[in-house]
Amino acid sequence: MTVPILQVRDLRTQFLTDGGIVTAVDGISFDLNPGETLGIVGESGSGKSITALSILRLVPDPGKIVGGEVLFRNEDLLQIADDDIREIRGRDIAMIFQDPQSSLNPVLTTGYQIDEAMLAHGKSKREAHQRTLELLKKVRIPAAESRIKDFPHQLSGGMRQRAMIAMGLSNAPQILIADEPTTALDVTVQAQILELLADLNRELGTAIIMITHNMGVVAGLCSRVIVMYAGQIVEQGPVDQIFEDPQHPYTWSLLKSIPRVDAVRHERLRSIEGIAPDLLRPPTGCRFHPRCPFRIEKCYTDEPTLKEVAPNDMAACWVTMDRARKDMNADELVDIRPGAGSHYRRGELV
Amino acid sequence: MATASAVIQQEVIRPQASLWSDAWRRLRRNRLALVGTIYLSFLVVVAIISVFWTPYRWEEVGVAVPYSGPSHANLLGADNLGRDILSRLMAGAQVSLIVGIGTQIVVLAVGVPIGLAAGYFRGWLDSVVSLLISIFYGIPDLLVALILVFLLGPSLTNIILAIALTRWMDMARLVRGQTLALREREFVEAGRAAGAKPAKILFGHILPNALGPIIVQATFGIPSAILFEAFLSFLGLGVPPPRPSWGSMAADGIAAYQIAPHFVLAPAIALSLTLMAFNFLGDGLRDALDPRLKR
Repeated sequence: MTVPILQVRDLRTQFLTDGGIVTAVDGISFDLNPGETLGIVGESGSGKSITALSILRLVPDPGKIVGGEVLFRNEDLLQIADDDIREIRGRDIAMIFQDPQSSLNPVLTTGYQIDEAMLAHGKSKREAHQRTLELLKKVRIPAAESRIKDFPHQLSGGMRQRAMIAMGLSNAPQILIADEPTTALDVTVQAQILELLADLNRELGTAIIMITHNMGVVAGLCSRVIVMYAGQIVEQGPVDQIFEDPQHPYTWSLLKSIPRVDAVRHERLRSIEGIAPDLLRPPTGCRFHPRCPFRIEKCYTDEPTLKEVAPNDMAACWVTMDRARKDMNADELVDIRPGAGSHYRRGELV
Repeated sequence: MATASAVIQQEVIRPQASLWSDAWRRLRRNRLALVGTIYLSFLVVVAIISVFWTPYRWEEVGVAVPYSGPSHANLLGADNLGRDILSRLMAGAQVSLIVGIGTQIVVLAVGVPIGLAAGYFRGWLDSVVSLLISIFYGIPDLLVALILVFLLGPSLTNIILAIALTRWMDMARLVRGQTLALREREFVEAGRAAGAKPAKILFGHILPNALGPIIVQATFGIPSAILFEAFLSFLGLGVPPPRPSWGSMAADGIAAYQIAPHFVLAPAIALSLTLMAFNFLGDGLRDALDPRLKR
C-alpha cells in the first residue's frame, strides 16, 4: 500500500457572481500516489481546471475555496501561510498551462524565464543557468544553446510548450499539474508532448495530474482517471478498466463520442445531447440525469454518491452500465438521446 | 508576383529583432521624431556646455547696453540689465531640462509603484489610490504648486516636487490600468504558479510589459513640466533670480516687447521649439512602441 503524496478531501470552490453562487468544485476527493499519472477529464465547465487551481490556491477572483482539505506532506495546503504555499508552488508542485503562447512573458527571453523559476526557490544564478540548458535538452528542444536567448515569439508552439514543461520541471517537483497542455497544439505536436511527459514521468518519477477534455490524451498518458461532471466526480478508476468497461453513463457516452478510425461500420458519431448544466441552478438528484439515456425515476430526486461498482472502479450512479446492459443491450443502443434507454424499464429498477 | 515574393523574402530574411531594437528601427523612420531627437540632443549638449562656458557670464550685468538688439558681440542682444541673452538662454536650458526630467523621475518613482500596487492588489488599496487620484485631479494644478512653493520657498528642488505633485496622477492611473489588464494574462498566473513573489511579478513581469506606454507618458510629461516651470517663473514663483529661466526671461522681456522684441522672442522661441521637439519625440515613441501600429 503506497502512501499518497497528495490527498484532496471534499474540496469545494465557489464563485460569487452577480447571478448567485456557482459551486464550480463540489466536494471533490481523490488521492495521488507518488509517480502516478492521473487524468482528470470532463467537459468545459466541469470544474477540472478549478480543481487544479484550488490545489495551489490560485483560484482567480471572485472564486473562493470554501471547504475541504488538500493534504501534501501532512500539511493542509488550504490552511498554511501565503509565504509557505508560495514556496510549494513551482518547487514541490508545479503547473503548466493550456496556452504556451500566453503563459510565457513576451518581453523576457525563454531562458531567463526558466532561470527565474529556479531563482525564486533559492538556486544561484550560475546553477540555474546551467540547469536551464540541461532542461531544454531534456525536453528535446533542438539547438538549446541558442534557443535560451530567444524570445517566446521566436519559438514554435510545440517548443514553447516544451519550454513551459522545462520550467515546470526546473525545481524537480514531486507533482506536475498539466492543465490541458496539448489543447493549443496540433495533433502531431500533441503526441510528441505527451510522449515527452510520459518519458519524464518514467525517468524522474514526477507524479502528473493531467487535466484534459480529451479522452485520447488520458488513454495515452495516464494510469488512472477521474471523470468530472458539473463540479463532481462521477467516476474514477484505472484507465484500462474505465476505457474497457465504463460504469457511469456519462463516461460511457464520452467514450462513445470519440471518433474512431477503426470503426467497423459506418456508424454515425454520437454526441452527448444537451449542454452542461448551469451550475447556478444545478439539476436535482443526479446532475447528469437531464442528459442521461438510462435515467430512472430515482435519478430525478436522489443524488448518487461514489461507490465501488466494479473492482477499483468508483462511480456515482443509480443505474450503472452493468445494469443498463443487463436490462437491454446498451451497447447496441444507437439512440443515446436523454432518456432513450429508460422506457425499456422505467420504474423497474427503482 | 515578383514584388510579392520579394516582400515575402524580405519578411523572412529580416532578422528577428528584439522588442526594443524593433521600436528603435521604427522610431528612426519617423522624420519628425528624428528632428525632435536631434534638436533635443543639441539642447542637452548646449545645457552641458553652459555649465562650464557661456559667451559671457550669465549673471554679469552691463556687458552691453540694456535692451540693445542682436550684434556681433551679443548674438541675441541684451536684456533689461544689459546681460547677454544668449548666455542666459543657454543657462536657462539647464533649468528647463533639469525641471522636465527631474519632475518625470519623481513622477515615475511615485506613480509607477502606486499604480502597480493598486492595479495588482486591488481591494481597499486600489480604492484609496483611486480616490487620491480623483482628489488630486480635482485641485487646480496652480493652486497646489503655489501653496507648495510658498510653503517650501522657491528653489529648483521645490519646484520639481511641486510640479511632480500635480503630475503623478497621470502616471499612476496609466500604470494602474496597464496592471489591471496585465494581471489577468496567463504568464502572470504562470509566474504565481511557479512561486514568484508579488514584487517579482510586479517588477519582473508586469512592469516590463507596461514599459512602452510608461516611456511615452513620461516623454509627454517632460514638456508639460517644462511649460509649467516656465509659467511659474513667469509669475515670479519659479527659480529664484538671478538664475535664468526661460519663463522669467520672458516675463522680463514682455514688459519691453515694444522697444526690444528680441528680448521676449528669444526665450519664447526656445521654449516653443523645445516643447515641440519633446512632443514630436513622444508621438514617434508612441507609434514605435505600439505593437498594434506595427508597420
